[in-house]
Amino acid sequence: MKQTDKVLVANRGEIAMRIVQACAKLGLDFVCVYTDVDHASGHVRLARKMGGDAAAVRISSYRDANELFSVADAAGATAIHPGYGFFAEDFRFARRATERRRKLTFIGPSWSVIRELGDKINTKRLARGLGVPTVPGSDRPIYDEMEAEEIAENLFAFQSEQGVEKPLVLVKASAGGGGMGIEEVHDPDAFRQVFRRIRNYAKRQFGDDGVLVEQRIMNFNHLEVQVVADRHGHVRHFGTRNCSVQSTGHQKRIEVAPGFAPGELKYSFDAARVLEEIKNHSLAIAQAACYDNVGTWEWIVTPKGDPFLMEVNTRIQVENGVSAIIARIGRREGEEVDLIAEQIRLGLGAHLDTEKDAKTGFDQEDIRLEGVGIEYRLIAEDPARGFSPWTGRIERFDFVEEPWLKVHSQVPRDEPYDIPTEYDPNLALAIVWGRTLAEAKERGLGFLDKLVLEGKDSSGGGLKSNVAFLREKTANLLEF
Amino acid sequence: MIDVKALLEEMKASPYTMVEVATPHTGVLSLSLAPGAQVRGPLGSWKEKKGTTLATIERERNVKPIHAPTNGVVESVASDLDTAFVQAATPFCTIRHYLTKAEVLAAILKKALFLFPAPERAKYYFVPEVDKKVRASGSRAVKVRDGMELFIVSRMKRESPLAYSGPAGIIYAVYFGLADNVDAGDPLIGVCPADQLAVIQDVVNRVQAEWEEPEGNG
Repeated sequence: MKQTDKVLVANRGEIAMRIVQACAKLGLDFVCVYTDVDHASGHVRLARKMGGDAAAVRISSYRDANELFSVADAAGATAIHPGYGFFAEDFRFARRATERRRKLTFIGPSWSVIRELGDKINTKRLARGLGVPTVPGSDRPIYDEMEAEEIAENLFAFQSEQGVEKPLVLVKASAGGGGMGIEEVHDPDAFRQVFRRIRNYAKRQFGDDGVLVEQRIMNFNHLEVQVVADRHGHVRHFGTRNCSVQSTGHQKRIEVAPGFAPGELKYSFDAARVLEEIKNHSLAIAQAACYDNVGTWEWIVTPKGDPFLMEVNTRIQVENGVSAIIARIGRREGEEVDLIAEQIRLGLGAHLDTEKDAKTGFDQEDIRLEGVGIEYRLIAEDPARGFSPWTGRIERFDFVEEPWLKVHSQVPRDEPYDIPTEYDPNLALAIVWGRTLAEAKERGLGFLDKLVLEGKDSSGGGLKSNVAFLREKTANLLEF
Repeated sequence: MIDVKALLEEMKASPYTMVEVATPHTGVLSLSLAPGAQVRGPLGSWKEKKGTTLATIERERNVKPIHAPTNGVVESVASDLDTAFVQAATPFCTIRHYLTKAEVLAAILKKALFLFPAPERAKYYFVPEVDKKVRASGSRAVKVRDGMELFIVSRMKRESPLAYSGPAGIIYAVYFGLADNVDAGDPLIGVCPADQLAVIQDVVNRVQAEWEEPEGNG
């Protein structure tokens, strides 16, 4: 990493703010982009405050690669950070950044790694080859209706043979992600209709109508392993997260780190062993795939404690902060862990190997995970109406500052904010820490109780948010 | 009942509109015209012939012309932006445009038809059955009635159905394009009730007969 590096922040909102802050922490220059509807977003204000007017450039779309590269060139950027969403898992974008005439460092895994692991099918094959359990179902995108029906019939029959009372099949957009474009089928006769619906949705939203057909595992917990790797073959993990509290549309709403609490809660299986198992499996795949930046391995754990690898997200996740809040690095006493700063450092070529870099490198044994972190995603949505997004003006947003609390948000606390309808209505990420699960839950509830969140829509109706949902779900966190 | 004559007189009194042209994206801008230049908008049945080049914008070693969106005379240009790197949506040129018959007709029809507005800012699509019909035979082949499921509303990556509410009739005008964001309150379609077709035809005839355009305005 050179102090002359300059990072183009190719994202918006909360993550863009986090990247700007991480750059500042590392002493790196940066430039942000924004679209017209985002002119009042916190990331634009922060960029201007920390870097002056030239640090925020208006573009036509966050999804226009030409636009981003032209800003990078005009601003003299040497690296590009995609954040999450948009181009974060687009291997073509990563390849173009690193292979164009004026080369840019892509702050993320190498394009070939993104291509390899970003494809759910490849990941499944790689995992199966290493003896890692994966969810039963198709191992390539299905375009043909008859073929999809045959796979679904086999999955229904397989579950019936296994004694599953109500067999379920999952139909997913192959090119999708983040829980979008997924539907369950419990009636084999309804399969064709759902398949067509998902195929049309996938075509409209992702430009590819390939569909995956998988067994739906019921009552599972959704766990993740946070992996961090450098460009030189060294891989570490920052523990596990439990992301089982989701909306009806499979969107995560609460994340907890670590993934289970065997010291405080009773499980019908050896929860500590399962956590070890998924960490080891994840590191094995990361090593085999020559993984070289931050990434998340997503797992399904059944009520019997059987883990199945679901997919690998080759990017920084929204929920990175909840892993960071419980982590300490022994060699860096007193310093908070910031996975985005680690991602930038490693993306720019820093070593994890302590022999190569005694100052910033660290071994797995140096990472201590202490206490419990809970992340709440505060979203303007109506849980009573299928979590439908709410748009309007946020008139008041405030909370009580605490030493155990971190809030990341693009919503200003000192003036009203209009939610753009072009993007998800995420308002803030609030992360609380406690020495135990019980303390973290108590603090989480305290934060939600004191939170001030008010707004109005265009017809004068009050703000709809998921705060009540988050409060209710806090009671049973990590129980399984 | 609308007063077509009065509306026409009002438009004749001020037959121009100012069209501001902005950069479509970031890049290095090179201006091609000066104030006072006559420009032409796109031509052809499908607007396949581009309008006069107002400027070029270069990014990623790719030079892209920015064409006049309409006929008229260049009123002003931002000469300080010539050869500068500009941000997206930066206005750089204003064209004084004489309204065409089609534009006058569209403006008057907006007052005569029943307009069904977008309930919220979002992208709108016709439901597949209606979409097929519109593509095959045009929107006027589609009859709508109160409560009929007509649109798919797409925003924030979520889609939900939207039913039409208003008088029964045919879709006389469609005001949204594919993948365009429509603001809350902006019309999606203009519906003509069956018993009003004669009135609407009269409006069309009056505009065709009474609106005069300078030569070459088309």
